[in-house]
Amino acid sequence: MSEEPVDVLIIGAGASGAAFAWSLAETRMRIVCLEQGGWMDPAQYPGMRTDWESAQFGAFAFSPNVRKRPEDYPINDGESPISIAMFNAVGGSTILYAAHFPRFHPSDFRVRSLDGVADDWPLDYARLEPFYDVNARMMGVSGLAGDPAYPPKDVPLPPVALGKLGETLAHGFNRLGWHWWPSDSAITTVEHEGRAPCINAGTCLLGCAQGAKGSTDITYWPAAIRAGVEVRPRCRVREITVGDDGMVDGAIYYDAKGVEQRILAHVVVVACNGIGTPRLLLNSRSRHFPDGLANRSGLVGKNLMLHPYGMVTGIFDEPLEGYRGPTGCSIMSHEFYETDLSRGFVRGYSFEMLRGFGPLSTALLGMGWGKIPRGADHHRAYAELFDRNAGMVVICEDLPEEHNRVTLDPDLKDSDGIPAPKITYRLSENSEKMLAHAVARGREVLEAAGAKDAVVQAPLPFAGWHLMGTARMGTDPERSVVNPSGRAHDVKNLFIVDGSIFVTAAAVNPTNTIQALALHVADEMKRNLANLLD
Amino acid sequence: MSSEPTPFSEEARRTLATVLDEILPARPDGRLSGAGALGLGSRLEEALKKEPLQHAMVAQGLADVEKAARVRHGASLAEVPASERRALLEEQPFTGLVMFHAYVGYYQDERVVAVLGIEPRPPHPLGYEMPPNDLTLLDPVRRRAKMYRG
Repeated sequence: MSEEPVDVLIIGAGASGAAFAWSLAETRMRIVCLEQGGWMDPAQYPGMRTDWESAQFGAFAFSPNVRKRPEDYPINDGESPISIAMFNAVGGSTILYAAHFPRFHPSDFRVRSLDGVADDWPLDYARLEPFYDVNARMMGVSGLAGDPAYPPKDVPLPPVALGKLGETLAHGFNRLGWHWWPSDSAITTVEHEGRAPCINAGTCLLGCAQGAKGSTDITYWPAAIRAGVEVRPRCRVREITVGDDGMVDGAIYYDAKGVEQRILAHVVVVACNGIGTPRLLLNSRSRHFPDGLANRSGLVGKNLMLHPYGMVTGIFDEPLEGYRGPTGCSIMSHEFYETDLSRGFVRGYSFEMLRGFGPLSTALLGMGWGKIPRGADHHRAYAELFDRNAGMVVICEDLPEEHNRVTLDPDLKDSDGIPAPKITYRLSENSEKMLAHAVARGREVLEAAGAKDAVVQAPLPFAGWHLMGTARMGTDPERSVVNPSGRAHDVKNLFIVDGSIFVTAAAVNPTNTIQALALHVADEMKRNLANLLD
Repeated sequence: MSSEPTPFSEEARRTLATVLDEILPARPDGRLSGAGALGLGSRLEEALKKEPLQHAMVAQGLADVEKAARVRHGASLAEVPASERRALLEEQPFTGLVMFHAYVGYYQDERVVAVLGIEPRPPHPLGYEMPPNDLTLLDPVRRRAKMYRG
């Protein structure tokens, strides 16, 4: 042990850890962030190569079980129809995300009051609204004001290019009289705070070499580091340690050389995502917390929400130039977002339009769909699919259920010998009904847009991108893990800021709300610094 | 320490080229030869070096299909009539694996990408031009009343 205690130790340098660190940096406290991954080099991203598409099967795969980088940990997701997706690096999963960046709706924070299910959040849209605004500037959000699906909001940058594909789909929505709107995207469309605008390369899911996509290694972290925060990459935390007084006092981690290290801290902030956070808490057992740190409620790891996805791909007669443009961002629709019980389920879903697929993905998907054979008919069948497909995903709200959970696998371990997480997850009857409704409406709108055929995959098996609910927020220590300020009910100097503190999941991508929440927790901490540990 | 798999024999390479041409034959418009004739076998072999189990499976499959061709038809796979060749490949468990790697090699080959109408270059740093947005399409949506609750 060679160091004096730091004021604040942040574990995890992804979406939430970065936003939190940047906000707290103005206090001039000594803040250190440990991150198990390294810094990414955008010049090495696959989009700089002609064989960029195949990186999705290797070093840039969504699943750490496929990717198997040294910094990844394995996940036993064999008991889930949806496999877990994440990335470990400075920037976390924002390195690979699509940057589709919607806010939650006001109703998403009041699901018990409005719809009689799950629980209300202990805070509301109005509390997060100023942090959404800050986040929009910091992440560089493009879009268009005036969306009737949301309260009025400012969007700093003009919308991404819709392209022929986006406008074709927009016509479909208009023909049905359904809502659609250009996506809010954390993608710069004009120069913004030193970042160049998007060049429509279509490689967002493999890292953005242009720097237009807002991953936190190029947004929050440079600003936080300039303000004095120290990031230590390639440092994997094994456990958070607890002193005799029952407060956390630091962490034990393995450095880049695999050497065990100890860091002392007055405050510990966990930002490891909805899988990594419960894994770390459950691995941090002590005399005070024999069932895992901050787990007196027994809820750490429970209520995992993943957002069941469906993908509907329309096949058109005309070329759509779909290999151009931000992969996951063009237009979205919230026509079926709010509860309408006549549909047979509670809560709702959103549509997110994708682009078309690249040459290789078209071939492999076409093969998987049984639409592209090998041999003599291959080229004719391929020509009917390539650049004539338009993908859309439906994102269903996933309600919290305690049986959906993260536990520690009794056998599986990472390369440092730390027990790995095990996922137990199934879709509820409500989710099944919602998914069926959503893909049927997806087909309908694609047909209205002119598609001659559509292919459905639901649930999408590789789409466990959104990791939420496993250390939920609430006012009751018996029914939640952290309080409305992100502080663990059981430990006064332990905070959690990632998607694990979500009470419910909404039906949109969560990163914007994860970061708004992290900024909210940092704001609460700053406002209460004098009596933070009372 | 893991050792690199033994390279394919020349015969196996010829068989692989035949298999690749069967999976991805020459384009009907004559603009491209089949995947085997384009030389994608060497790329596939290179990719398989990183996956020793797959390399072994393909090596065994190539030997098996060649042997089956000689036993049943008294000729090499390349000399067997096309319909019989397809039947022989249908029986082989390695065909799906070769197909995956064949697609990976073929659809990232600059010659193929160019024929598809895409500039044969990486997406970065040049990217692609896109037309300006027609936001008048939003007019009917703008006329809608507030949709959110709460």
